[in-house]
This record gives sequence, C-alpha cells and structure tokens, in this order.
Amino acid sequence: MTDVEDTTPWEPPLAGTDASQILGSLDRMRWTFRWKAAGLDAAGLDTRIGASSLTLGGLLKHLATAEDYLTTVKLHGSPMPEPWAANGWDADEDWEFSSASQDSPEALYATYDAAVARARAAIETAVTEHGMDMEVAAHNDAGEHATLRRLLCDMVEEYGRHTGHADLLREAVDGRVGEDPPPGWCP
Amino acid sequence: MTAASRDLTAVLTGPPQDGSEIETLVGALERNRRTFAWKCGGLDAAAMRQTLGASTMTLGGLLKHLALVEDEYLTRQLTDAPGLSAPFDDVDFDADPDWEWRTASDDSPEELVALWEACVARSRRNLDGAYAAGPDAHSRTAWSDGHPPRVRRLVVDLVEEYARHTGHADLLRESVDGLVGEGAPLDEPTT
Repeated sequence: MTDVEDTTPWEPPLAGTDASQILGSLDRMRWTFRWKAAGLDAAGLDTRIGASSLTLGGLLKHLATAEDYLTTVKLHGSPMPEPWAANGWDADEDWEFSSASQDSPEALYATYDAAVARARAAIETAVTEHGMDMEVAAHNDAGEHATLRRLLCDMVEEYGRHTGHADLLREAVDGRVGEDPPPGWCP
Repeated sequence: MTAASRDLTAVLTGPPQDGSEIETLVGALERNRRTFAWKCGGLDAAAMRQTLGASTMTLGGLLKHLALVEDEYLTRQLTDAPGLSAPFDDVDFDADPDWEWRTASDDSPEELVALWEACVARSRRNLDGAYAAGPDAHSRTAWSDGHPPRVRRLVVDLVEEYARHTGHADLLRESVDGLVGEGAPLDEPTT
C-alpha cells in the first residue's frame, strides 16, 4: 500500500465487490461531507445562500437522522434510537433542519459523528450476516420490500446531493472548495 | 412484468426494489440523470449563466461538465474509443482545465442540452455492451495503478458525481425561479 492510500482512507476500491464498492462510495461521501461542515462556529453553520433555507448545521442534523433512520426503521422496522425520542416532527416535518440553529456546533458535530458510527456498525453487520440481496423492512406502496443494495444505493445519492449543497454553502462561508478532503485530513 | 416494462418503470421512479446489482446501479444512474435534466430544463440563456453566492458554477456549466464526464467515463474509459468525442477531442485540457465550465456561456441552452443528451445516449449504448459480460466486467482503460477498474466502480462514481452536481443544481435552480423538489414529476418527459 502506498502513502497516498494511507492518507486517503475514503478512496473506494478499484475492483471492489457489489458491497464494497457501494460502501466505499458511501464512506467517501461521509468523509467529504464532514470535511465541508468541519471547524465552523454557530454563524458559519447557520449561513444561507440565495433563495434556499438550507444550512450546514441543518444538513448535519438531517444526515444524522438519515443515518439512524436507515439502520433502524428502513433496515429492521425498529424505532429510531436516542437522541431522537424527543423531537418536533409531529409539528414540523422539517424539524431537524429548522431546529439546528438552536443547537451548538459541538452538539451538531457530536450528534452527526455518533449517528455515523452507529450506522457503519449496523450496516457492516447486515452486509456480513445477510448480504446485499437482504430483504429489508422498507417497502413501496405495492408492498414490495427493498433490498439492502437498493437502500445503500439510495443513501449514496442522498449523501451526494447534500454534499453538493454543502459545497456551495461552505464556499460562501469561508471560500473552502474541493472535491475530496486533503490527504491526511480527519475530523 | 416484462423486462422492457420493468426498465421503463426504473427510469420513471428509480431503481427496482429487489433488482440485481446491474439493474439497481443503472436504475440509480438513470434516476439521477432524470432529476438533473429536470433541474436544468426549460431555461433561457440568462438563467443558464446565473451564479450563486461565492461560486462561479452555473447550470449551463453543469450541463457541459456532465456531458464531458459521461464521455470520459462511459465512452473513453469504458470502450476502445481512441479519445474523447467531439467537441471535447479538440480541447487541450492541460492548458485549459476548466474549458467546459468557461465556454458554456458561449452556447445556447438548446446546444447545451443537445450535447448532454448525445453523450448520455452514447453512454447508454456503451454501458449495455460492457455489462453484457456481467456485473464483474472491467473497463478498457487502465487507471494510475496500471489496471482498468471494474465497470461498477465507474457507475457508482457516476451516481455520486451526478448526485453531487444535482445538489449544486438544486440551489442554482431555486435561486433562478424557485423550482424545488427531490425528483422530477412523473409526467415529466424522459430523455
């Protein structure tokens, strides 16, 4: 293994399997999104651009909920874990976006990092024990259940799209731009 | 459900629920293309050139960039093509690395959409051909480690690339005319 690979752990495999390729891509997006959101104060995390109400703080909280939702409700049909028991979704469908400005930067980063750690472990277990053809709890209106493959593919899209939002928000905050984190970066 | 009707459903609403690896990845790529085309659709030249915040990115630049990315991944790298297709084959990208972003403002919206659609059509034919060898097929062009990646690496990278740029398109389009949404309406014509 070369030094470059040692310092860019987010790089997906060149000749991966069905599972390792999608998981590699998902993890590269997690690293990149985290880098785009990293090291900001409350004002930076609450910055908006143009006509959109999106913020980096809102994206941190939204993707934390997406990670936990994926590995509980969608994967197993089990309830969302803490810290989501007390939430505002009954009154506001976009609660995680709209409430993020009331959370400290430290709380937003910690919530996101904890959700990612839980999701990495839960997904690794599901892939190891059941494989990508696993039938998960999530289903469409016709009652057809999704595979784990479909769930993870959707998550790559979700992360890619929100990392695109984070690109433009972060550039507006302090000019940080780039496709991936610099080699050696960690949160 | 026949294979053909199943494919159409995938393009309209997303990847199949219980598809094979190829069906799922191709379905995800097609959904991304469809959403991206919707975000860039029906705009005049001024809207195609509009920027947002501190970024120089535009919707016209995104169309020309993703046309180039389609051609680079699913024509030049995937097949035995001698190089990029027109108009990219005449460009010295070492001397002008942002050529497609920079020159998009010289093109009409119709030209930008037509270029992207032509590159997508070539990509679809090439990917069908490559996947005939199965999900573990390799592309034809070696990367920096001396080996060609598997086709799945190119397709997963493309899904990521499209999703990220569609995130840029989300914010640009909202600032142009307020259009927002996660996916194109089901009655939106497909490319």
